[in-house]
Amino acid sequence: MRGKTSVSRGQALAPAPEPRAPGPAATVLNLQRMSTEDGPGLRTTVFLKGCSLACAWCHNPEAMASRPQLVWYGSRCIGTRACITSCGEDALRLEGEEVVIDHRRCTACGDCVDRCASGALETLGIRWQLDALVAEVAKDRSYFAAYGGGVTVSGGEPALHAPFVEPFLRRCRTLGLHTAIDTCGMCSAAALERLTAACDLVLYDLKEIDGEAHAHFTGSSNERILANLRELAGRMRGGSRPSELWIRTPLVPGATLAERNLRGIGAFIAEHVGDVVTRWELCAFNNLAVDKYERLGMVWDHAATPLLTDRELACATEIARGSGVDPSIVFATGSTRAAAPSAASVDVQRGRSNGSAH
Amino acid sequence: MSAEAARQLEHEIKEPHGLSGRIRWLRDYYFEGVGRDWNNEFSCWTTGTPWDVVYDETTYYIVPETYAFFQTFCSSTRQAARPVRLHPDFWSWSLVERRAWFIREVMVEYVPHEILPGDLLAGARFNILASRCWTKREARQRERRVGGRRGTRAATKWFHEHGYGNAGATSGHLVPDHIRALRIGWKGIYDDLASRHDALSARERRGAKGEQLRAMMTAATMPRDVAAKYAARCRALVETEPDPDRCDELVQMARSLDRVPWLPAETFWEAMQALWLNHMLIMSDENYPGPGVSFGRVDQYLLPYWERLGADGADPAFGKEILGCFWVHANTAYDAMIRVGGNQGITSGFGQLVTLSGMGPGGKDMTNDLTYAILEVIDAMSPILEPKPSVRLHRGSPEALLDRVTDMIADSQGAPFLLNFDERSMAGLLREAREARCEHLINEENVYDYAPVGCLENTMVGNDRSGTVDCNLNLLKAVELALTNGRDLAPAVDPITGNEAPIRQDGADTGDPRRFTTWPEFWDAYVAQTRSIVGRCVALYERTEALRAELSPTPYLSCLVRGCAERALDITRGGPELSFTTIEAVTFATTVDSLLAIKYLVFDARTATMGELIRALEDNWEGHDTLQAWAKYRAPKYGRDDDAADAMAARVMAAWTAETWRHRTVSTQRQFRPGMLSWNYWVADSHVLAASADGRPKGKFLSNALCPSNGTDINGPTANANSAGKALGGTAPPGLGDWGEYVNLLPNGASHTISFSPSMIRDRAHREKFKAFLRGYCHNGGTALQVNVLDAEILKDAQRHPENYRHLLVRVTGYNAYFTCIGRELQDELIARESHSQL
Repeated sequence: MRGKTSVSRGQALAPAPEPRAPGPAATVLNLQRMSTEDGPGLRTTVFLKGCSLACAWCHNPEAMASRPQLVWYGSRCIGTRACITSCGEDALRLEGEEVVIDHRRCTACGDCVDRCASGALETLGIRWQLDALVAEVAKDRSYFAAYGGGVTVSGGEPALHAPFVEPFLRRCRTLGLHTAIDTCGMCSAAALERLTAACDLVLYDLKEIDGEAHAHFTGSSNERILANLRELAGRMRGGSRPSELWIRTPLVPGATLAERNLRGIGAFIAEHVGDVVTRWELCAFNNLAVDKYERLGMVWDHAATPLLTDRELACATEIARGSGVDPSIVFATGSTRAAAPSAASVDVQRGRSNGSAH
Repeated sequence: MSAEAARQLEHEIKEPHGLSGRIRWLRDYYFEGVGRDWNNEFSCWTTGTPWDVVYDETTYYIVPETYAFFQTFCSSTRQAARPVRLHPDFWSWSLVERRAWFIREVMVEYVPHEILPGDLLAGARFNILASRCWTKREARQRERRVGGRRGTRAATKWFHEHGYGNAGATSGHLVPDHIRALRIGWKGIYDDLASRHDALSARERRGAKGEQLRAMMTAATMPRDVAAKYAARCRALVETEPDPDRCDELVQMARSLDRVPWLPAETFWEAMQALWLNHMLIMSDENYPGPGVSFGRVDQYLLPYWERLGADGADPAFGKEILGCFWVHANTAYDAMIRVGGNQGITSGFGQLVTLSGMGPGGKDMTNDLTYAILEVIDAMSPILEPKPSVRLHRGSPEALLDRVTDMIADSQGAPFLLNFDERSMAGLLREAREARCEHLINEENVYDYAPVGCLENTMVGNDRSGTVDCNLNLLKAVELALTNGRDLAPAVDPITGNEAPIRQDGADTGDPRRFTTWPEFWDAYVAQTRSIVGRCVALYERTEALRAELSPTPYLSCLVRGCAERALDITRGGPELSFTTIEAVTFATTVDSLLAIKYLVFDARTATMGELIRALEDNWEGHDTLQAWAKYRAPKYGRDDDAADAMAARVMAAWTAETWRHRTVSTQRQFRPGMLSWNYWVADSHVLAASADGRPKGKFLSNALCPSNGTDINGPTANANSAGKALGGTAPPGLGDWGEYVNLLPNGASHTISFSPSMIRDRAHREKFKAFLRGYCHNGGTALQVNVLDAEILKDAQRHPENYRHLLVRVTGYNAYFTCIGRELQDELIARESHSQL
């Protein structure tokens, strides 16, 4: 085993250098085309880098840090060692047949990536200019047209990139594309308002209703998240965008998957935002991120956490439906342990990132 | 996976359901295969002359696996052939008259006429290999042109072994004019032929026109007389049949057969009976089981009969039973070689295609009750291979149809049908009309009546033979020749003797590429070599085309294709109103990716010199791992919706299709047209073609039809489909498209297969999203799509436990195959394709 550095959550939250490229640009982790899990219809989801939370169960750990990060895929490496010699920061070394990245030294400059013949090294986080990104997502507009599909900006936390995301959303809407953001709500009220006023649908994460538990699992209390959500609902009541609001709750065994929590979130929705929320999605924990943590040199507390059983998911759904919300808005998604092997397998369509970071 | 896990999976493997006892029995009986008492194996028939030939190898030149067996087949079929008592005047007739008489004699007087238990349709044995009816002189002349060092057999072998592909005049692959045959009956067809014959001058009557029309008149009586034999058989069965209900059915069948197919069909049962006999006798006439003899838009032209079913007070369930019988009959085409190979002769779909739904006049959708009834029958019967359905989709296709289609895909590990896309398909056919100057026959007013044949090859209906599988050309050979200045990169090897052929200047002299300093110089060399290989393909095809025109008429089929009677010209001589032959390009993506790699490695990134790259290819990439990795992983690729890479695809497409349109056959004046099918050649020829610049070593699969190279479509199905659409020509500004804004350089259409994870269609919500994909494909994608819904784990388990997966159907290159019956390599390839995007 190669040496692992345990990255504390505080470190993952360290402020990243602001982009210096001319014109609006953002660091994009991944463009997921034909996404089926980030809103209605078929969508292209733009995963941005950098998150304001550091959830213990996060299945997109590469989206936590704002800065680009280097990863090495052992199965692709053919051992030319061109990367080792090209590194000016002395951040790469060979241990047996493994290329080990010293993430403290690596600046993700991309020199080694350019020299890698087999694509074994990859920079996670590519700068995209606004115009180019709009053109790229518009390529699939024919698939969006039917059944309410469109573009979703996810992350990371899109509100951290408000100066880029807001004009991006407006440009997409000008092209007639349905737009959504997937937010954890941990951002300034102003940034959130800027984005929500520019999109059609907001997917809003409510992970944990108890403030202390929220702080324990994510590194921050949920006060601001709940306040932002209430304000958003208020604006919607006043007729402002977005036209639709979905709540999403990850179901993580040993963390958010608790009757207390689901009843609490349900009660909050019913009391404060029930009149504007049209869907509450319960997202079953997925364990596909194990390799990602390893590649990033991070330790994952949830590496051994099992998938939910069918029973657990059904039970959670029942609890949510009985929590005071309109039961018809509650939906469960994701893979479970006892399901047929096909449903539990990796979804071919979903490629490198598997949904947004909850 | 354990046996237990496999059992858990069982519910996912499609099983037939809801069949009546009758259809269930017939279907089960069919799948007993060699265990059956009855089958439809080839029977062989001879004139008895010592020079007789019953097996025509030229129709199998497009199947390179058979080359080694030609002599065996020729001798053994001749040996097995039973003599037919000839008419005293037989040898005084022309060849076409002899052949018409001979086939008719065999089908009416020699082949047994049997009815399977419970079957509602007559017409059982039709697979025959009949004497070519050649005189001694004709046989000797033909042998001179086929055999020997300069014969077609040697030329075809040369073409294949040197990596160009294959070509040969082949049977089937058209939609006959069934509509007319049902409407006026064979009596109507016969009367028309007779009046045309009467209208000939005395001199014409003595000549080729008279011979042809008389032969067709003989052929036109064959369905009547075969039907009479079956009617008699039904009546004989009544004598011993204990079940009174079955007796009633047999009496009904006999009465139908007294009328059809000679007279116009009146009921649905009669129409299906007539359609089956008319169709089956084509396979008898051509001595070729199944391939591509297609039915066209059955839900349109059978609808009036279907509606009458209700009006007559008959139960629609009975209508579906008739359809079920029809399905079983179509599958017996495979019995031809039932004792060859391990799976009762079934290796891949033969492609007796039925077309469902699609656009009508003014963009109107033509989906109707019969469309859904047939889909129900398919769903209940499948997995079953024939007849293969193609569902035509367009932007106006109704939700209900898309729902039905999506549900069937979800329940059957992929579509039990092909999807054909109208707008792009019609654009290609209108382009064809322009290129071939036949706008009076294909135009905005009738193009919506097109139908695919075989797998997905688009043609017009009832008047069109487009030779859709006749020429299969490996575009990649032109890249090789551009790299070598027109000489094979490695010596061709005879697979039987192992002998290496000398390397000669076979291609154009395009200069030493090591001296090229710019990309355009290489591109020009590639285009020149493309011209050279297209020319070679055309020249090879001409030889069997001319042979067939002179020596292998099919007068019965000629009766069913408009133009043949009018011109008194056999279909094999270019009689149809629309007479094309198609070059199906193979290795498209491998070719594009190789050109992209050469441009990237040598001219853009300058990773290697041209000399280094050529050396690596000569070494089959061995010892050049790093350069190979650059080629495989860093060079741009087609299939990712990368506009720059896809522009190369569009250029390659434009270049080879332009070359193709330049040619016509000399003997029959058939215009060459372009398409992309690939069948299984992309697998087999990978062992023939040398290493390619995209990083592929010899022996690793080439790309399939219009699909991106295996594993390169990392941006998912929408990107894959967008690239395919762009390669075909994409869309044009208003007024400049071929049909609406659509452009399509391939009138034949192109095979495109995309695999989806089962999770894509696991529930109602996801099926809606899948429908969105299909709607988007309509606008952005190609002409045809095959949907595979497969999971890599399922496939791996199927490799380990084939006994648990007998019915697992997969679709490869436009044909269906049982997964457990295809070669290990192709299985591995399917698994790789399924799992490539999983990290």
